[in-house]
Amino acid sequence: MTKLKLSGVSKAYGATLALRRGDLELDTGEVHVLIGANGSGKSTLCKIVAGSVRPDAGDVLLDGRAVTVSGPRAAQALGIGIFYQELSLADHRSVAENICLPDLPKQSGFFIDRAALREKAERYIALFEAVAGAELRADTNVGDLRADQRQLVEIMKALATEAPVLIFDEPTSALDRAQVDRFFEILRDLRNDGRSIVFISHRMDEIFAIGDRVTVIRDGETIDTMAIAETTPEAVIHMMVGEQEELAAPQQAAPPAQAASTDAALTVENLTGAGFRDVSFTVRRGEILGLGGLHGQGQSALLKALFGAPPPSAGEARIARERLRTDSPRSAIAQGVAYVSGDRSRDGVITGRPILENVTPIHALRNRLVLARPGQLAEKALPALKALNTKFAGLSHSIGSLSGGNQQKIVIARWLIDKPDILLLDDPTKGIDLSAKTDLFALIRRLAEEGLAIVLYSSEDAELLNNADRILVFNGGAVSRELSGAERTRYNLYQAAYEAA
Amino acid sequence: MTTNASLTKQDGGGFGTLLRRFPFLPALLIFAVLLVLNGIFEPNSLSFRSLTGLVRTYMALMLLAVAQTYVVYAADIDLSVGAIASLVNVTIIVLMQHMGGGGLSVLAALGVGVLVGLACGLVNGFVVAALRLQAIVATFATSIFFTGLALVILPVAGMPAPTVFWRTYGGSFLGIPFVFYAAVALAILLYLLARTRLATQLLAVGDGQQAAFQSGLPVTAIRIGGYALCGVFAALAAFCITGDTASGDPLVGAKMTLFSVAAVVLGGSALSGGFGTVAGSVIAALIIGLINSLVFFAGTPSHWQNLVQGLAILAALMVGVLVSRRGRA
Repeated sequence: MTKLKLSGVSKAYGATLALRRGDLELDTGEVHVLIGANGSGKSTLCKIVAGSVRPDAGDVLLDGRAVTVSGPRAAQALGIGIFYQELSLADHRSVAENICLPDLPKQSGFFIDRAALREKAERYIALFEAVAGAELRADTNVGDLRADQRQLVEIMKALATEAPVLIFDEPTSALDRAQVDRFFEILRDLRNDGRSIVFISHRMDEIFAIGDRVTVIRDGETIDTMAIAETTPEAVIHMMVGEQEELAAPQQAAPPAQAASTDAALTVENLTGAGFRDVSFTVRRGEILGLGGLHGQGQSALLKALFGAPPPSAGEARIARERLRTDSPRSAIAQGVAYVSGDRSRDGVITGRPILENVTPIHALRNRLVLARPGQLAEKALPALKALNTKFAGLSHSIGSLSGGNQQKIVIARWLIDKPDILLLDDPTKGIDLSAKTDLFALIRRLAEEGLAIVLYSSEDAELLNNADRILVFNGGAVSRELSGAERTRYNLYQAAYEAA
Repeated sequence: MTTNASLTKQDGGGFGTLLRRFPFLPALLIFAVLLVLNGIFEPNSLSFRSLTGLVRTYMALMLLAVAQTYVVYAADIDLSVGAIASLVNVTIIVLMQHMGGGGLSVLAALGVGVLVGLACGLVNGFVVAALRLQAIVATFATSIFFTGLALVILPVAGMPAPTVFWRTYGGSFLGIPFVFYAAVALAILLYLLARTRLATQLLAVGDGQQAAFQSGLPVTAIRIGGYALCGVFAALAAFCITGDTASGDPLVGAKMTLFSVAAVVLGGSALSGGFGTVAGSVIAALIIGLINSLVFFAGTPSHWQNLVQGLAILAALMVGVLVSRRGRA
């Protein structure tokens, strides 16, 4: 039975057409996967259903009746709940308050029923008890939680709406395997109870593990809907990328170990800091060093420490022969270290500002520019943007008008105007579509060939196996194994990552 | 994953946890220090009588600081709190005068005063949240408008309040000064308000308007609610001003507006919204009071007093910020 039907829905932001023609049929009791490259309109489609974006055209039918979802409140009243990719949490409020925020339990009209609030929140926290970690309690502030725990809270918040239609827009990007497995168990239970679930993910294995049907969106248009059982990952990728399939086909063979020059670009000795300890390694110029392992084992913390944010507590890092001063990002930048975070909205993008301003801050800093002359800056910015295949309408447009993948390209382009010596990539492709990923890794390889030393952490094992010359596997904050040459196999990676965990 | 748990950062010790729960602790510390300093310079200043006087004089600022706190919760600001207090002050003075100054007329005037404050708050909320004007400029504009209204109602300062009114405010019942009853009533009111849905919703809006909107909160209504609450507390502040000065003055509140903002910050609330306590603002209002009396008791020459006051408030802000940072790091 069709629960929700969207036909011919479209939405434009100014000149950017976010969704050209979105169609979706969601049945009762199914997990419906929505897949498409970033910027293809998936999130826009979801937000239209959830009422936080109003469509320019098209019809929404709920239980066969035409409805207008005028806002998030209206969506709740209609029985639609959503997990937002960018999360909709209040950092200074407690976990319990966040879970119940859309509908705080009432007591005599004005007051919050604290007991009911807690009881309701505990119910949803209990669902993830085994995998969430001890800090995730009803009274913890959300701002004190790790990224994966925050994502779990957003999941609980969506579940707490108890809505018949639930939308999950990339709910698993920060979760580890055990958390994803538990979440999928819950989703299956909900489906068996007759709920209708929309699920978005960039991880093909997840899609095939949880989905009943899959709808592919490309360039703002719904391409097709298929039963998962009757399709293959290859077929889905084929539909997603359309004509540009060669870009998306994953390189199965690992790249040959580079004939990297022998001089070390970055040497790290016994570095210790918050979240990692006693890490030593060397990266040569022209080499891509991968950091692998399960999520949150110190990889990001190490990269941030090398960038001075915050500095490590012990140990030493050297660039060529000189000691790397890691007291602040400012001094790291001055010494030719670049850092790109996967958490674009927090660590990368300058929100609400034009693209030009987002490309040039590092250039301005390294050259101590006092006055910004847009004409001159644009000359510097355009080649960097072009090298990355960035799609944008004009340098003066707000960065918010771009898709996640293009925003990340802007952030990376920022470092390429004045070439750094060391490039630290902290899960740079999080939430980025396949073709943008392919672009990025081609560029990263090119940069390595030009002599940069690159340290890459990725939460996707395939990215590491396909792109890194050597892989350090992290486990519990320390390097548990180094894989190089033919050892770089999925089996070895998993074995080292799971060893003591 | 068992390893995850051991990797997460530890809390910044006991004080950090405490500070997180009670962000007004630094303010309390400064308050205690100032109290001691006052006692050193003028032992008499710690007498029951002097403390009563302090609370009586600064009750108005406490209430204004509370008023400001509720809008700051939602990352808004109200630069018209002082003007609202002035408007309410002259409104009730003129009303009480016209109705003869008896007990009933006083109560009726106070009722009208609360409604005037509420109306002003709704106007502010409408301009800021519904018309989406910048809070800082829009409330500056409404403050001029409210002051204008006050000047129309009472062009010249000086109309006296009925005796029964200021005698009550300055008097005692069963040996306990009236202001302490008022303080207890305020504490209960604030306790109850902290448990309302509105308080949590205001803080959630301050934490992130977009997130709150996407969570299905009626953001505009909530922000208007914050301003309405602010207007009502500004009216209550006006009652205290009236009780303390025993007269009407269309400009009496103007200079208190920015003190209320300073008190909010000093009390540990974030001007960026989402975080803070009204208790902190109340303590901070008293800190400002103690600074003023300390400057006086320390025998500062009169033409140096403003300068020293300003420096002392700056120092208090700095200590507060440093202590909070140390605790959170």
